[in-house]
Amino acid sequence: MEQFEPTIVAFCCHYCAYTAADMAGSMRLEYPPNVKIIRVPCSGRVDAIHIMKALEKGADGVLVAGCLEGDCHFKNGNVKALQRVTALHPFLEEIGIEAERVQMVNMSAGMGGRFAQIATEFTEKIRELGPNPAKAGASRLAAS
Amino acid sequence: MITAERKPLDEIMESIDGCGRILLVGCNECVTVCAAGGRKEVALLASALQMASMKKGRTLDIRELTLERQCDPEYVEELTPHIDQVDAVVSMACGCGVQEVARRFKKTHVYPALNTKFMGASEGPGIWAERCQGCGDCLLGLTGGICPIARCAKRLMNGPCGGSTNGKCEISNDVDCAWHLIWERMKELGIEDRYEDVIAAKDWRTGRGGGPRKILREDLV
Amino acid sequence: MPNQNNTVLVIGGGVGGMKAAMDLSEAGRDVVLIDQATTIGGLMTRLDRTFPTNNCDLCTISPNLSENARDKHIEVLPLTQVSGLKGQAGDFTVTLARAPRYIDMEKCTACGDCHKAFPECVRFEPGLDHRAPTCMRYPQATPQAFSIDMEKCDDVAALVNVCPAGAINPDDGERVEKRQAGAVVLAIGAELFDPSRLENFGYGVYPDVVTGLEYERIMSASGPTGGELVRPSNGKPPQRVAWIQCVGSRGINREDVPYCSGVCCMYALKEAIVTKERFRDDIEATIFYMDMRTYGKDYEIYCDRARKTYGVRLERCRPHSVISDAASGQLAISYATDASSELTTEQFDMVVLSTGFRITETACQLARVLGIELNEYNFARTQRFSPVATSRPGVYVCGVFESPKDIPETMMQASAAACLASKNLAPLAASGNGEAMLPPERDVSGEAPRIGVFVCDCGQNIGGVIDVEAVAAYAGKLPGVVLSQSAGHGCSREALEKIKAAIVKEKLNRVVIGGCSPRTHENLFQNTLREAGLNKYLVEMANIRDQDTWVHKNYPGMAVAKSKDLIRMAVSGVAQAQALSDNTLPMNKDVLVLGGGVSGMNSALELADQGHRVYLAEQAGHLGGIAMAVRKTLEGDDVQSYMADLVEKVSQHALIEVITQAIVVDHSGMPGMCKTGFQIGPRMYYRQIEHGATVLATGATHNVPRMYRLGEHAAVTTQIELDSLIEDEPERVKAWGQLVMIQCVGSRVPENPNCSRICCQSAIKNALRVLDLNPEMRVFVLYRDMRTYGFSENYYAEARRRGVIFVRYETDTPPEVTPDGDQLEIAFTDPILGRRLAITADCLALSTGMAVNEEATEDLARIFHLTRGLDGSFLEEHVKLRPTDLAVPGFFVAGSVHAPKNIKECIAQAQAAAGRVLAMLSKDTINLGAMVARVDPEKCATCLACVRACPYGVPFINEDRYSEIDPAKCHGCGICASECPAKAIELTRFEDAPIMTRLEGLLERSA
Repeated sequence: MEQFEPTIVAFCCHYCAYTAADMAGSMRLEYPPNVKIIRVPCSGRVDAIHIMKALEKGADGVLVAGCLEGDCHFKNGNVKALQRVTALHPFLEEIGIEAERVQMVNMSAGMGGRFAQIATEFTEKIRELGPNPAKAGASRLAAS
Repeated sequence: MITAERKPLDEIMESIDGCGRILLVGCNECVTVCAAGGRKEVALLASALQMASMKKGRTLDIRELTLERQCDPEYVEELTPHIDQVDAVVSMACGCGVQEVARRFKKTHVYPALNTKFMGASEGPGIWAERCQGCGDCLLGLTGGICPIARCAKRLMNGPCGGSTNGKCEISNDVDCAWHLIWERMKELGIEDRYEDVIAAKDWRTGRGGGPRKILREDLV
Repeated sequence: MPNQNNTVLVIGGGVGGMKAAMDLSEAGRDVVLIDQATTIGGLMTRLDRTFPTNNCDLCTISPNLSENARDKHIEVLPLTQVSGLKGQAGDFTVTLARAPRYIDMEKCTACGDCHKAFPECVRFEPGLDHRAPTCMRYPQATPQAFSIDMEKCDDVAALVNVCPAGAINPDDGERVEKRQAGAVVLAIGAELFDPSRLENFGYGVYPDVVTGLEYERIMSASGPTGGELVRPSNGKPPQRVAWIQCVGSRGINREDVPYCSGVCCMYALKEAIVTKERFRDDIEATIFYMDMRTYGKDYEIYCDRARKTYGVRLERCRPHSVISDAASGQLAISYATDASSELTTEQFDMVVLSTGFRITETACQLARVLGIELNEYNFARTQRFSPVATSRPGVYVCGVFESPKDIPETMMQASAAACLASKNLAPLAASGNGEAMLPPERDVSGEAPRIGVFVCDCGQNIGGVIDVEAVAAYAGKLPGVVLSQSAGHGCSREALEKIKAAIVKEKLNRVVIGGCSPRTHENLFQNTLREAGLNKYLVEMANIRDQDTWVHKNYPGMAVAKSKDLIRMAVSGVAQAQALSDNTLPMNKDVLVLGGGVSGMNSALELADQGHRVYLAEQAGHLGGIAMAVRKTLEGDDVQSYMADLVEKVSQHALIEVITQAIVVDHSGMPGMCKTGFQIGPRMYYRQIEHGATVLATGATHNVPRMYRLGEHAAVTTQIELDSLIEDEPERVKAWGQLVMIQCVGSRVPENPNCSRICCQSAIKNALRVLDLNPEMRVFVLYRDMRTYGFSENYYAEARRRGVIFVRYETDTPPEVTPDGDQLEIAFTDPILGRRLAITADCLALSTGMAVNEEATEDLARIFHLTRGLDGSFLEEHVKLRPTDLAVPGFFVAGSVHAPKNIKECIAQAQAAAGRVLAMLSKDTINLGAMVARVDPEKCATCLACVRACPYGVPFINEDRYSEIDPAKCHGCGICASECPAKAIELTRFEDAPIMTRLEGLLERSA
């Protein structure tokens, strides 16, 4: 069986995380191509529904990436984002989806290295967890 | 405001077991404000139900709709065009809303997605606390604006019990002793002397003791 | 013909020059911004983080850099120097010498292939590695192009061939150009002292002795060690790090300068904190210092935090030397403390030398070319009460070249210089409408999407990793796509013309660019759409370079798959995009200035001189403020004659209406059109003033703590009273035998933790003046740290030379004052003798400083919805980069209401505030932007979630009982939209629907 390639959605704030991802590019730091970025003005714009829909539509993992704590361009959007991610974790467990599939991370715009590292580690973690169980169930359905 | 919390997902899943088409109905009043059953929670629950089903190898047809107020028949009427196309309604309103939908659509299963909790106030973002039990005979005027029925674990009417310690109730350190609060408030109002006034035994018939209640305003009928 | 010129020449592309350029361009002025370096950015881009917020600098400044690069009013000329300046203010002719870059900027795409081919040659980390033929200083460099040092290139042909864009031109040569300019702003900064000229610290000999700037680079994420803190000698993390302050500054030895560089104490504290915070908190950080000069806004609190929270050790001593211990590989520092007369020797793994500012020889040459005077240390000499005006009219200076200073003060001076420079330009014509040249916008609403996809190859950057044609072909099959093609270098002029032509020919109504980052290029493509008659919000970029081919080039198959995913996501997202217009309203050009002190009057005067009607409202019955009580500055200038002249000018100005006895009672409206209500005069009649911008210059109050018998004993005065006494009763002062001063009275204490900044200067000023009256007088100054920053250090040195005795006291053993008839006995502990001493004084002068006017700031904060800091003063929009703008747009702050300042500093900020107002009011309309949160009243449940969640307090429940968000105040973060439990709020451009469709586009499994 070929290796499972997870699909990972990263909601990245424009000011820090998205810039850090670009920086990783300028620095030519490799990370797995599994991570796909959706740009948002602030991690505080990321609604719990966006995360849920990402999982429902087939993402195996979701990263919410904001500025370093205290550095949010909009004061506390990253704190709000963390609260939402934390609140979503028990709900995911209820559904039967591992909470680790959704993670909040922080970085500054200059941290291209950190972005690449997080992207690598998170991909590895999701790879170990295996496919999103909801998606897996649905594909069983399609197969049968 | 009426407060509520979402039921465990398993319980909701169990109730709709065997249903393929679901109408998930929110309410834009109290349960929106207490973040339990507004449009956002409807969307979240829809997604959660979908994923929980997918896990079992099924998909659901879920329609989302949020009514202005689920406890008024005119608003509930808005469900009519959908009702024949679904196997069940899952209501994210308080118990009143659930019953109103059930009353209107006699042949459709209506399942609650929320546990209705209490009448309460917002103590800050994300915190709601019980304030009123609807006893039908308000005595807040006698108790410095703090209700011993809703806020004392024992509903004591004349001072605290022996379990009051440092202003907290013996059931939990997170619960204020209502009579301690009443005393503090009376001190602030300068009416400490009223504390000793005996409140007569309460006639519970105005509350649930008298059976289900109804208000009739003849001038509005 | 003078005054027809709309151009300002800004020399120096550091933060100060950029700020001046951006202020001017915001005000509709044209700027030629030159820098002798290959890119703009200056010193700040080399810092890791900045105090006092410890933010990442690159993150803070890079938006400014790209803003600079794309601004139409600003022409950036790197590698350029001034070789001549003729003419006069309003009508200068400048000669510019432009060094060859050997790269055609029109063709260069900053791909980096030349850098890859010659990796060993690229200078990437300034200060810590060797020079190179091609050089890009940091990843966000602007302009995004490389430059080549031909002399150091061995194989020119190979270098030329490596460039896929054919941008390398070995025949490039120096060019000389002449430009017209109405004014010149000098923002050339300074260099940092090179400690290799000193032998005693072993810099250049011991690898683990580094300068503060090198330490910044070592800590920096974009630095040579990739953000790892390691010793240069062995690449291992240090355990003990020492900082030595005042290296080359505040000295009398060879290579020393006498002045204080003003910023090194803060940067050493910052580096120590970041060391412990970001790397390992068990790294021992020790700072050897003479006086801890944390005199800026909130800096004292920062110093306290360094000591108490982070355990940074501060040792008051100036070590003589650093000695390397060959055996242990460590560095030894010997020093003395108060506690012991013996020398203590300690070993450290790294020693950081805090070096200060020096003016370069290049700067002196430039000064000669410009014909401006320099002071004895080669800093630009400025007018006494106009701190950014040089000796030559029309030439202004800002930043460190004026005197040593930190970033916020540089920013203030930059805005002030921009303000004064624009005075020399032609009056701003009714703003020429650039839109007029654009074709009308085609209405695409109701049309089915006709999407055009353009996939860039960006030379080898994208094309070398994935098959661009194949990706374009794939995109052509996506729903809604009617045209999909490869676009070569999509951002080249040629390609942009092709895209425009395709939009018209194929009647495209949406466009997707598969290319680089929207951060850097979205604006360009938005403009392209607009020029082709489409709304600028109908384009979306798929970042297949920075976030795909650059990082996955070793896995081309996956890179192709990802590029398809990203383009599919962009296509589904853009299909949802709607034409948006930036809403506008007419701008009210009148200005309200609150506070009739030295700051308020200066702001009012500058604004009125440049054609704005100004209402100058003062709470007291007359103009003047607290400067009316000051007689002389430290430099000996007569404050009263200056004030009299200023009051006269303000009162006589046709465009200034002075309103005294005015109390603000209400305020409404939005930035650019608002109304402020006053109660005026003894009868408190009500008057409402309509204006567009507001300057807050309400000042501070004298701090009068009841300490040391102030107000009880006749011999106890404040410095400000002593200042007047010296002028009014010289005979009485002359008769004194002994005078004692106590510093930090009521400042740097728990109730008022900040430093009052001006008291050390006041004490020195008064000490020198009483000695002028009576050279025999014995003057004692009891102090905690002498904070005579910048050139005021010279006066401190003079006071010591003339016999003023400075004795340090600690807060746990403060001086004690006992009345002794008309005299006082003052007891204090001498830290060197370690004994308690007592002296009898004829006068005790207390340095009481300034305090926030609690009542006034609280009222104004409430009425204007301004936020206040812990000390009660108004919070700036950005403490570092926008120190004159308040967080609420349209409000600006000037003078001591911002933080304690001396008169010159107040004037600079007053002119800065005027400059910021000029920039804001230069537009005829208020642009409300397109990315704002909007409430659907039908859905709103008035739950207050948005009201509670908004970081700026914008939403409110209106009279119609639903939440309302003023688009003028909304910052566009979208937090409310994501909090709303009724889903009643949407953020335009980032609504739920487009986010969901992007998700669907991305996750849709391509069969």
